Amino acid sequence: MTVVLPDVTVGVLALQGAFSEHVQLLRAAAESLALKHEPAQQSQTRWSFVEIRTPEELARCDGLIIPGGESTAMSLVAARSGLLEPLRDFVKVLRKPTWGTCAGLILLAEAANRTKKGGQQLIGGLDVRVNRNHFGRQVESFQANLQLSFLGDSPDKSANEPYRCVFIRAPVVEKILPHRDGVQTEEESRDATVVAPSKAPGDQLAEKETTAQVEVMATLPAQTPALHANREHDDAGTEDIIAVRQGNVLGISFHPELTADPRIHVWWLGEVLKAVERRRQFDLVHRSAS
Amino acid sequence: MPTELPTSNGNTAQDGENNFAVKAGLARMLKGGVIMDVVNAEQARIAEEAGAVAVMALERVPADIRAQGGVARMSDPQMIREIMDTVTIPVMAKARIGHFVECQVRSPRTLPILEALGVDYVDESEVLTPADAIHHVDKHPFRIPFVCGCRNLGEALRRVSEGAAMIRTKGEAGTGDVIEAVRHMRQVNSDIQKASAMSSTELYTYAKELGVDYALLKETAKLGRLPVVNFAAGGVATPADAALMMQLGCDGVFVGSGIFKSGDAAKRAKAIVQAVTHYKDPKVLMEVSMDLGEAMVGINCGDLGEQEKLAKRGY
Repeated sequence: MTVVLPDVTVGVLALQGAFSEHVQLLRAAAESLALKHEPAQQSQTRWSFVEIRTPEELARCDGLIIPGGESTAMSLVAARSGLLEPLRDFVKVLRKPTWGTCAGLILLAEAANRTKKGGQQLIGGLDVRVNRNHFGRQVESFQANLQLSFLGDSPDKSANEPYRCVFIRAPVVEKILPHRDGVQTEEESRDATVVAPSKAPGDQLAEKETTAQVEVMATLPAQTPALHANREHDDAGTEDIIAVRQGNVLGISFHPELTADPRIHVWWLGEVLKAVERRRQFDLVHRSAS
Repeated sequence: MPTELPTSNGNTAQDGENNFAVKAGLARMLKGGVIMDVVNAEQARIAEEAGAVAVMALERVPADIRAQGGVARMSDPQMIREIMDTVTIPVMAKARIGHFVECQVRSPRTLPILEALGVDYVDESEVLTPADAIHHVDKHPFRIPFVCGCRNLGEALRRVSEGAAMIRTKGEAGTGDVIEAVRHMRQVNSDIQKASAMSSTELYTYAKELGVDYALLKETAKLGRLPVVNFAAGGVATPADAALMMQLGCDGVFVGSGIFKSGDAAKRAKAIVQAVTHYKDPKVLMEVSMDLGEAMVGINCGDLGEQEKLAKRGY
């Protein structure tokens, strides 16, 4: 007997930046998943990976990736393309699975500093404050092989091999914030810090995902060899938070899309499937109860 | 049509102790965006607010370099520093072709001027007066990445061999006439198509003909596109020009004189940014093309003497 799963559509925000790279890795990740699954099961999840430039395209998505790029440019273009509010609805009201890398992490943060003069628009969804361009300019960009605890398997690499993390003018999570029902008012009152506007979750399930604890998924030790020559980093703490998740929203400060290694994408697609299933169950119960 | 640049590309290439992926990675982050020429901090802010993904800091825009003549050199590092302090997006700066000391002015570690200054990208540019009549800069030893111009596949791959992490088609800077930008992009596309259809035996000869590394040509032929990010440059003045270059397969667009030599710079800059994101959407292109005010006056490339063409600089 086979259980028919719905088609799952994952969008990649394609306003600017490394969106094509994410689409390529999503395809590779879907192939890895198909290989791993029982033959009877593999035909069940039919993935669709699409580039998102309009609200109509976004509305079709079950999950979303916000890629690396320039976060200021992306948020300005999103606003002018009528996408900023639909994106906030997607992440905060509908609370669908969303993953941001680098610029995407900045946009998904509830608070950010070192933004351009006059600040920038954020989407929000992660109760954290990010520090933009934390490591400095391009000369301070680097890569480091790190052990990540949450990887999936790919055909040529097992989950416990180190992952090559590429940091390009990267942000880090500077502080994990307590969850607030409204905007992050304390953050708002800090100098040179911008916050995301508040949006109430659409239902109980969305609320549960929104109020979940922020989990630190990965940190970068300050003794990472690549950072030895990094002046901006000298006085920093012992380690920087480079990956967090809160319920079904994930933020990573490096660029998995600049590798040929789909293991994070494999893991994340699994998380998307779980979130889609939670939503399906919730809607079933909810509909039969009302 | 644009073809995907595989994520694995350049991943394993070591540039001495610099990893090429980090250099070429920044260019990937700029894709689908507009890089704008600015001459001061005020213009840089306008560009940033318009949604530019980076600014190119220079003393005179190409249209003025063309009009005023004389030797065009690297900009005053003080001016570049001011722009770097003003905006949070990446800042690029130009160095003269072959002038490796100007490039050095921009990192403290290898002590080269542009590397010392810490700009995010160096453009070894034909818009400035070349400093070397034969050689380009060996770009591998630098920690900062380089972008270089090309008119055809040969030039593009020679620059990549020298260490360029990003390519731009040259076009004809400071004219506001897109014809040369189109010519160069079409030439690159056509050269690649030709290479893709060749047997490996033919490719050896084609590599010799183009004056490029065989392995790099073979890789390009297989990819069906340049092995690094490729932007359009030189003559883009309107949103439609920018979308035209995107539809021809560029990954993004440089706009030089086209913005700050036009009537309403802020509005035109925003319109070009929208046009590059939505380059396949005629409705958006129509909307953003409306009521933009005066475009830069421009010079017909057909009226330029061969000696006046900047694109001819470079080897």
